Amino acid sequence: MSPSMLVTVVLALSTLAFWQGKRRAFALSRQASTTRMHSRPGYYGMLTALWCAVPALVIVVAWQSASDPILTRIVMDGVREAKGALSPDQLNLMINDVRNLVSGSIYSQNVDPVLQLAAKRYQSMMHIGNMAMAVLALSTALGTAYYAYSRIKPTLRARNHVEMAVEILLTLCSTIAIFITVGIVLSVLFESIRFFQQVPLTDFLFGLKWSPQMAIRADQAGSSGSFGAIPVLTGTFLISGIAMAIAVPFGLMSAIYLSEYAGPKFRATVKPLLEILAGVPTVVYGFFAALVVAPLIRDIGLSFGLSVSSESALAAGLVMGIMIIPFVSSLSDDVINAVPQSLRDGSYGLGATKSETIKLVILPAALPGIVGSILLAVSRAIGETMIVVMAAGLAANMTVNPLQAVTTVTVQIVTLLVGDQEFDSPKTLAAFALGLLLFIVTLVLNVIALYVVRKYREEYE
Amino acid sequence: MRKFGLTLAAASMLVAATTTAQAAGRDYISMVGSSTVYPFSTSVAEQFGKTTKFKTPKIESTGTGGGMKLFCAGAGTDTPDLTNASRRMKKSEMATCQKNGVKEVTEIKVGYDGIVVANSKKAPQFKVSRKDLYLALAKVVPSPDGAEKLVENPYKTWKDVNKSLPADKIEVLGPPPTSGTRDAFVELVMDEGCSEYGFVKAMKKVDKKKFKAACRTVREDGGYIEAGENDNLIVQKLEANPRSLGIFGFSFLDQNADKIHGSIIDGSEPTFENIADGSYVVSRPLFIYVKNAHVGVIPGIKEFLAEYTSDRAWGEEGYLAEKGLIPAPKAEQKKYADIAKNLTPVVLD
Amino acid sequence: MSATQQSTMDRVHKGLAARYRKEKRFRLFGLSAIIMSLAFLVLLLGSIGAKGYTAFLQTEILLDIHLDAETLDVENLATANYGSLVKRAMLDNFPQVKGRRDKRELSKLVSTGASFQLQKLVMSQPELIGTVLSLWVPADDEVDMFVKGHISRELPESSRRINDKEIEWIDQLQAAGRIKKSFNATFFEAGDSREPELAGIRGATMGSFYTLLVTLLLSFPIGVAAAVYLEEFAPQNRLTDLIEVNINNLAAIPSIVFGLLGLAVFLNFMSLARSSSLVGGLVLTLMTLPTIIIAARASLKSVPPSIREAALGVGASKMQTISHHILPLALPGMLTGAIIGMARALGETAPLLMIGMVAFIVDVPSGFSDPATVLPVQIYLWADSPERAFVERTSAAIMVLLFLLLTMNATAVILRNKFERRW
Repeated sequence: MSPSMLVTVVLALSTLAFWQGKRRAFALSRQASTTRMHSRPGYYGMLTALWCAVPALVIVVAWQSASDPILTRIVMDGVREAKGALSPDQLNLMINDVRNLVSGSIYSQNVDPVLQLAAKRYQSMMHIGNMAMAVLALSTALGTAYYAYSRIKPTLRARNHVEMAVEILLTLCSTIAIFITVGIVLSVLFESIRFFQQVPLTDFLFGLKWSPQMAIRADQAGSSGSFGAIPVLTGTFLISGIAMAIAVPFGLMSAIYLSEYAGPKFRATVKPLLEILAGVPTVVYGFFAALVVAPLIRDIGLSFGLSVSSESALAAGLVMGIMIIPFVSSLSDDVINAVPQSLRDGSYGLGATKSETIKLVILPAALPGIVGSILLAVSRAIGETMIVVMAAGLAANMTVNPLQAVTTVTVQIVTLLVGDQEFDSPKTLAAFALGLLLFIVTLVLNVIALYVVRKYREEYE
Repeated sequence: MRKFGLTLAAASMLVAATTTAQAAGRDYISMVGSSTVYPFSTSVAEQFGKTTKFKTPKIESTGTGGGMKLFCAGAGTDTPDLTNASRRMKKSEMATCQKNGVKEVTEIKVGYDGIVVANSKKAPQFKVSRKDLYLALAKVVPSPDGAEKLVENPYKTWKDVNKSLPADKIEVLGPPPTSGTRDAFVELVMDEGCSEYGFVKAMKKVDKKKFKAACRTVREDGGYIEAGENDNLIVQKLEANPRSLGIFGFSFLDQNADKIHGSIIDGSEPTFENIADGSYVVSRPLFIYVKNAHVGVIPGIKEFLAEYTSDRAWGEEGYLAEKGLIPAPKAEQKKYADIAKNLTPVVLD
Repeated sequence: MSATQQSTMDRVHKGLAARYRKEKRFRLFGLSAIIMSLAFLVLLLGSIGAKGYTAFLQTEILLDIHLDAETLDVENLATANYGSLVKRAMLDNFPQVKGRRDKRELSKLVSTGASFQLQKLVMSQPELIGTVLSLWVPADDEVDMFVKGHISRELPESSRRINDKEIEWIDQLQAAGRIKKSFNATFFEAGDSREPELAGIRGATMGSFYTLLVTLLLSFPIGVAAAVYLEEFAPQNRLTDLIEVNINNLAAIPSIVFGLLGLAVFLNFMSLARSSSLVGGLVLTLMTLPTIIIAARASLKSVPPSIREAALGVGASKMQTISHHILPLALPGMLTGAIIGMARALGETAPLLMIGMVAFIVDVPSGFSDPATVLPVQIYLWADSPERAFVERTSAAIMVLLFLLLTMNATAVILRNKFERRW
């Protein structure tokens, strides 16, 4: 019986167990007129079903993950006897050979008879193993289901048990977030530590020159190989700054108009349309920035006699800003809506016009929340990858001139990791260090932003 | 209750998916490596997949160095069977291979690729020598006043470099050192260009490191713009800015012949014929490497190599030439076809 | 007293016109901000549409192919030389063409896909052998570009990919009615290909489908469960705070960092199959999970406490209150959040670059562990291809992707409007 089949059968059994448990609970509730059942019949059914399915599934999963290495080991022991000593890699290849034979998808004409034999053995053992697993899992399912079934009594607090099981599941699910964060930190931290062993932390944090394109081999001469993150950071902040210079006024004004002026119909059509801007994949924006906006800016610059780089920070920043507009607008929309109506009414009552109310009452009241949402948008701009990969350059110029080419943290990560390289040089490890830096910067921004937003919200609730 | 059932169903599907993912061995070829060879290998792979009973190989574009790293990580199905390279395997890479149990590796030279320096058709075609390119792009150059010392590159416009060139600002879009194209460009152009200065050339004998630092370091003051590996974007940017030049593989020039033209280097224009007969000097060989231990284990490797080295693929009239690969001379092709057939392991010298 | 009052009113009146003007201006600013944002959207969509719409048509050439019994017999159907049949049919159209080079150039006007097409046809209908078959076959990508007008005739011969002789042949074919443009079905039915005229998005679409399925199956149940726990059960303690801070942070972590995580955990540590949609789906699950949790929590929060209290008041347990009353009411909001999360996952590229999904994959994936690529990555790959015909295909693929995204978002909006309740 194949594992997936087995799982299906176990689930079918557990459905059956559900009905049986429920029936028994019903029957008990009718005959036992003296004591009332503690829970509704469905809960007894569910409890039985859980008892039926969970242990059996645990067995299947454990068996599945353990059987393959064990079987391989047994089979390969046989092969080793026939072949003599083998290096681990040879062994690995032979294992694959056997696996291919087992799944019947090999075209090689001359298959080693030893391996063929091994494959046959593997197959027959797997067959026996699967049978054994099926017997074990099914008998466990039946056994535990019967145990639960036999315990169905009016005094059994079935609902509490079931709810406990569900709550455990819910708790587990919510802790996944912690595991993800831990995973991220661990996966970048180790490589970063290796990087900082080769390049001092202070050089990385305070160095004014970023030129990681050092020689990737002993016999190559690249650039100077300096790892000062400051120019990369200034580039990142320059582009993000331009993006925010676009996104904040546009996003904020849109949000104000939508929440304070627009009629419900206008709002209902325009809001989703604006959200489309946030939904367009960033690859698409990247191409647009590189092929339409950048040349346009360059041509305009030329007509004014300015020298504009074809990878100007302005192009990437503009397009990124447009992408972020809906992000700012929907967040500030929420914040503005959260300002109590009484404040507005008070202001109108004093004779202020709408715009005066907005400027002098609503915005100051909503300011912390707006600042929080802008910070969130900034962290998003800093982490944006595809637009800058396509439209911004690689040259780490330390400049605040938006017409020049600059580079960003994400661009550097991508180019350092998706290129011809060796994975042991500080150059590649620098990508992880940048990843860590990016993680920390966005983390700090987010924490501040969330703190501000939350604190502000509580003032009115 | 319904939710309960739903959760169970989802859980079971996950179990089924992971178990099937783990059990099966790989039955398709996996190839990694250079983005320059990628278009050619994918063509072969597609032809191979459509005309044989084997599955179409999976090919990833990871760059030569990244490919070598994956390739040499060990033998076994979770490692690739072949890797593309736009330069020869380095000794250090071979050592990694050996250490990780990849004992026998076959090297096949599949053809040549020209590296071109091109600009938009809106601007006049450039006529440069390798020395001009060196002077325009190096970080340090021999002092313009004739003194035998190296100074920070003082040249701002092409006219400064060579009187016959236009008075435009030097702006060259080229690959970063992660790219095999950059390696080849420095070796073929910059080295040659700077060897024309006697005192620099003399350095080669005395202090090789210093020589390389002098010749191969590219300027970082904005004259040379590292433009990533997306050659298509470089072409678009050249079109947008007619005064800039770009460095990339011949196949991109070939495909965009209506928008850009290749500069004449040392009197020879980058055309298919000129690169093939060697009169255009800036060309380099392309390779694929095979992990011999996988042949016969992963189905179809031999047949794939046979397709790659067949005349209809890499021949002068073959479909790879159509894609922009410059075929190797007949004798060389025969040699490598034999190597592919017998899987003669490579010995790097 | 009345004098001072008058003067106040006067002052108010005096300033009134200016204040109203200001009001108007402010209002105009808001409106123009919205209009400009929307104008940009139109510009973006328009420029992609203008570039890409031609990709939905494909130039085809009519050939009279003589399926002679000598080249084809029933045994060798799989290996016969279909290419030569196509070539001969093409040459038959131009009896005047002599010389090896010319003949070769002529036969290149037809796509290499023609022989595959012929092979498929003959193998399914062997009774055709011996007859003359009139068949529309795809033209080469250069011919396609020329017929669609992307290559101008006015250019000097050296700067086009198609020479004067070939143009003459194409004109003759056109005059004979042997060239037509028809709907490009290949684009929707085929996997990736190196030949633009044979390339399609089916492989990438299926890859996206499997990847998203994994993402949805994992992130929705887990996300809802986590949201329910945090909103309804979580005690006020350090752990809960930690989880909340984590989730909010993860939602704003750059997606590329998730790619680094996927590379380290799923590929290097768990050694799952590289480039598979399973791994892609797992990475995207991690990425969308926070979004879904936050949306689900918001929608749980919006259920008024009165409902909770009423349920608890009639004796329901906490779990019963949640599963019988709160979840059903919060579900539309959760679904909306899930769809928006999925839409974001569908358009995501950066993390997938790190886990080997940037690959040339011709075979359409048929399972979770098959090597696969997804639509945005396919766009990225095609954008990088040297062939000019891929430009319009890139734009067309973008159009398909945008269409899918818009459909998903529209579904979310409709759901929201239909089920959104004001309490």
